[in-house]
Order: sequence, then C-alpha cells, then structure tokens
Amino acid sequence: MIDDLVKRAEERCRDLRLSSVRAWKEKTGMPAVGYLPIWVPRELLHAQGVLPVGLVGAGQDLEIIKGDAYYQSYICHLPRSTIELGLNGSLDCLDGMLFPAICDVIRNLSGIWKMQFPDKYVRYLDVPQCFERDIGGTFLRRELEELAEGLENIGARPLDLDALQQSILVWNRQRRAVQELYGLRSEQPWRVPTSELYLILRAGLVMPVEEHLSMLVSYADAVRADDERRPMDQARVVLTGSFCEQPPLGLIKTLERSGCYIVDDDFMQVHRWIKGPIADEGDPLDNLVDAFLHDAIDSPTRYIDEGDKGRELVERTRANRADGVLFCAPSFCDPALLDQPMAVAAIEAAGIPWTGFKYSEDTGQFQVIREQAGTFADSIKLWS
Amino acid sequence: MSELLTAGLDVGSSAIKVVVVEDGGARARVLGQAVERIRRREAARVAQDVFESVLRDAGVEEGDLAYTATTGEGEIVPFRTGHFYGMTTHARGAVFLCPEARAILDVGALHTRAVLMDARAKVLSYRMTSQCASGSGQFLENIARYLGVTLDEIGSLSQEADAPEVCSSICAVLAETDVINMVSRGISVQNILRGIHDSMAGRYVKLLLSAGARGTVLVTGGLAADPGLVAALVTAAEQFSDRGKLDIRSDERSVLAGALGAALWGAFRARRLEASGVTP
Repeated sequence: MIDDLVKRAEERCRDLRLSSVRAWKEKTGMPAVGYLPIWVPRELLHAQGVLPVGLVGAGQDLEIIKGDAYYQSYICHLPRSTIELGLNGSLDCLDGMLFPAICDVIRNLSGIWKMQFPDKYVRYLDVPQCFERDIGGTFLRRELEELAEGLENIGARPLDLDALQQSILVWNRQRRAVQELYGLRSEQPWRVPTSELYLILRAGLVMPVEEHLSMLVSYADAVRADDERRPMDQARVVLTGSFCEQPPLGLIKTLERSGCYIVDDDFMQVHRWIKGPIADEGDPLDNLVDAFLHDAIDSPTRYIDEGDKGRELVERTRANRADGVLFCAPSFCDPALLDQPMAVAAIEAAGIPWTGFKYSEDTGQFQVIREQAGTFADSIKLWS
Repeated sequence: MSELLTAGLDVGSSAIKVVVVEDGGARARVLGQAVERIRRREAARVAQDVFESVLRDAGVEEGDLAYTATTGEGEIVPFRTGHFYGMTTHARGAVFLCPEARAILDVGALHTRAVLMDARAKVLSYRMTSQCASGSGQFLENIARYLGVTLDEIGSLSQEADAPEVCSSICAVLAETDVINMVSRGISVQNILRGIHDSMAGRYVKLLLSAGARGTVLVTGGLAADPGLVAALVTAAEQFSDRGKLDIRSDERSVLAGALGAALWGAFRARRLEASGVTP
C-alpha cells in the first residue's frame, strides 16, 4: 500500500510532460496554469476552475541543452530546466505561467517567458513586503483581482466569492492533512521517511487538490497502520534552505541513510506557506489577503526584521526536538544563502549544532554530503 | 545475560565483519567475531547470515542485544539500531585495540584514510587518498590475480623479496602496466609484490604525515591483515622519519576495528538512551 502510493507519487513527479495535466484539461475543458515556487493563491485559481500546476524544475531527468544559454554560470539550476521544459514543449499544455516574487532570477525568467511564449498568459506575481492591511493588504488584494481578470481572459470562470469560500475550505483541509503528516513525522520519524513525504508533497503540485488530499490521507493511514517500521537511533535534524529549487531525491535518501531523521524541512513550502486555516467567514478575498499578511511562515523571500532573522528556525528546531540543523541550499540561491549567516548566528547563539552544504537539482554524486551528514550525526550522538 | 551486549557490523565493499561485545565500556570483552568475504553474493544476505552465525557461536540471542550498530555500507542492514560513520568506528576500535594510538591508517578495498583522534577516540581530522585505485586493496587484489597468488599468500611472499622492483604509486593503470613489464622481464613474484607494497606504503606514510599524524599509528581495514604491507609501512616510516616519527602497528583484530568500534559506540549509545529513557 505505502509502496504503491509512493510509486504513484514518484511517477507524477517524474512525468515532465505533465500527461496527467493534459488528461485533466481534456476531461474538464478548463485551463491549467503553471507556477514557480514558493507561493501563489491556489485557492483563487481553484475557485475559477483553473488547475494550479507547481513547477520545481526537472531534477536529474532532463539534459539541459538550450536552458544554459539563457543564464550565466553563477545562476541556480531551476530556471535553466524550466526554460528547457518550455522550449522542448513539455509545458505546452499550460495556458499560463505565474512567477511569484522570489528573487531576481525568477523575475527575469518571467520576462524571458513573455518573450519566448507571447501567446501564453504570463504574470509576475508581486507580493507586499509591508504587512499593514491598509498598505500591503490593499496592494495584494488589487494584485489578486488583476490575476483573476487575467485568468478569466484565458478561459477561467469569473471570480465568484462563494466559490472562493468553498475553495478555501478545500485547501484548508489539504493544508491540515499536510500539517498532520509533518506532525506525525516529527513525533515518529521512522514511520514517515522524508524521502517518501517529499514525493507525496511534490506529486501534489501537479494534481487537483481533491486528489492530493485523498493521497495524503491514504498515505497517513497506511504509515500509521504499518508496524513493520521501527525506530532507529538517528540524529533528529531540521533541514532548511531548500524552499525553491528542490534537491534530488537521492540527496534526501543519503541524509537519512547517513543517520539523520529529518523532522522538519522547507520542501514544497507552497503547501505550508499559510500556517493555519484561512478564515471561512467574511469576505474570502480579504481572508486570503489577511492570511498572507499575518499567518505566513518566515522565509528569506519575505521581509523579516534583521534582529528577528533565524528566530523562527530556532523555535522550529526546539519545537521539533531536533538535535541539529542542516543548512541545505541550492548553489547560487541568493535568498537562502544571503540569509544563512544570520540564521547560523541565531542557531549558534542558541547552542544548536549545525552543518551546511549546497546542491543542485541535478546533483548526482552524494559521497561528500554523505560523509558530512554522517559525521555530523555521529558528532550529535556521541559528543553533544 | 545481565551484562550489556551489543553487536557491530562493518559492511565493506569486499567483506563483512561482525563483532559481538559484552559490556562495551572499560571492561569490554569480545564474545564473537567473524570476517566473511562477499564474493558476488547479495551483501545484505551475507550480512544477515554472518550476523546470525556470530550470535550463535557466542551463545547470544538477537533479542539480548541492546544495540546493533552498523558502519561502512551498513545502511543495507535493516535490523540495525543505528549507524555510525566509518572513521568514527575505526577510531573507536583502534583505541580499544591499541590505547596509545592517536592515528589510524584505514586501508580498505576502495580507498585509504589517515585519521587522527584523541584518547576518547574522537576524530580530530583526516586525509583520504584520491580517487585512483592504486591506493586501495582492490588494486592489490587485482595484482594478486594477475600473478596467480591468493590474497593470503601476498604478505609472506612479499617478505621473501631480496630485490624489490620500483613500481608506480600514482596510477593503478600505470602500476598494472609496470607489473606486466616486470613479469615479462622475469622479475620474481616476491620482488614484484614487495615493490607494490613499498609504493603503497610510501604513499600511505606521506598521507599520514600530511594529516599531521605523529606517534603510534594503528593500521586498520582489510589490508591490516597483510604482513607484507605492514612491514613495508614500518620501513617507509623510517625512511620519512625526518618529517615526523611514526610508530606503525597492526593488531590481529585490526581488520575488525570498524565492527568493533561500531559495537562499542553502540554500547555507549545504549547506555545514554537508557539513561534518558528513550527506546530507539
């Protein structure tokens, strides 16, 4: 049962031509819109009948031939594989693309997309860095209204507030299911290997929320019922920095085999960007805006006062009873790597052991990381 | 049994080593041990079989073990309680076998490491040979096959050499070419093997010195059982003594250092977990 679910999830993740999205479009006749990490208002897309399709690169499964011509060597890998997927036709089933405000590279990618695919709907989704409702809230609401109008132009239903309310309820259930799995992994990490949870979450980027909710519930039920899995003596670690370009699955397996239980992480943050359930009373568009302003997780892509950087990481580490922190960021990821010194300072001030390394989505050799993670786990188990 | 019992499994690329230890602290005692070459079999199956065999010989039930620790490629062992990294376990095993050792030379099938540690077996730093196979046991195994001698014969034959031939120590391909030329020139097997041992030993001693090793060094890993290599290491250490004094030693159980260290660290963890009320 678990193996079947994980296999199904992995197949979805590796289906770079998005055949399930194509099938969904054929069945429903509605548009599908791609989005880059790390947050888009999926509730709004859902309410308009649009399938949101999360794109987090092509991992190790795609040779980059044309994509490298668009970016310098000191730029991360995600935009290269995204361009490659666009140019080789893998993404031609998408009626539009959303580029959330993550970093300059993604902003530039939105411009490249506009030039390369003039017939597609392309929107750089700006989000406020001022979280006062009158300022940032007004701005974000206007952004969302413009987005809704844009989606309508590519065949989506007009935004209906009752439909949005219903969509918020569906996504709240999905968010709760994800959070429950994270809670279960933190309590009993041997039941929920991160290498499995990662696939389950990543598959959710390319399927309707209702289908993903069903997968999450089935997986949670299956791992709870599996008594074959038993605890091992591993170091409990929080993995941070992997919120945009995702690491290859082999890296996660390497970390677990090296003696680490990952008890919290930054993978596929779109599923957990909003912490609690979004309010289900009042104007649902305002509720969506308020959730973004006041109930979102800390992230290097979001304004945090300098003195507060790293505080949430320390809190997460303690809340998950983690023994240490792995700073695991993509090479050349400005948001992750520019924030890392402040986060490290906070972690060190709290007396929490840490180590760090970098990866690319197509990294294929893990020996050095295995060595680093293995010795880190040993140092925690034997010397801390 | 009332004493704390732990097991260590060192899954190498060519052999699996298993040790069962009683107490695991200052009064640790080895109850059972075995080394089994994998020989194209499924490593996980071999590990299971040799583990069960050692337990049987030691008169220990699996359920009596407080901790089963793995090292090396031990991730393939599903019944492990925990896993430790190779350097960590070799260091611990070495301090158990030779308390005055402050460095180890772990010579395995695929690579060689010089590791410095303190009296508690805490790893302080290390250096490793490069990717080339000329620094590995696998290379020596290949040469033995070309020369038609068994692995067990290598050490004694090497010690019978009277005029060792100089051999490349940089590249396995060049070294193998050297060996083929030596055979063509009628050089004796003894002198060829000693030449290879000398080239490997020179490389290892430089590795140890560059890592900062001084004083007693215990050779561990599969090639620790090769007396020809150990003798060549002692000679090489004397040759390079102007760069630092090394007292190279081996122990009859050096091959088991990883498994032994895993079992001993397992005992340490078992006690710590019990004290904190955690069941792994």
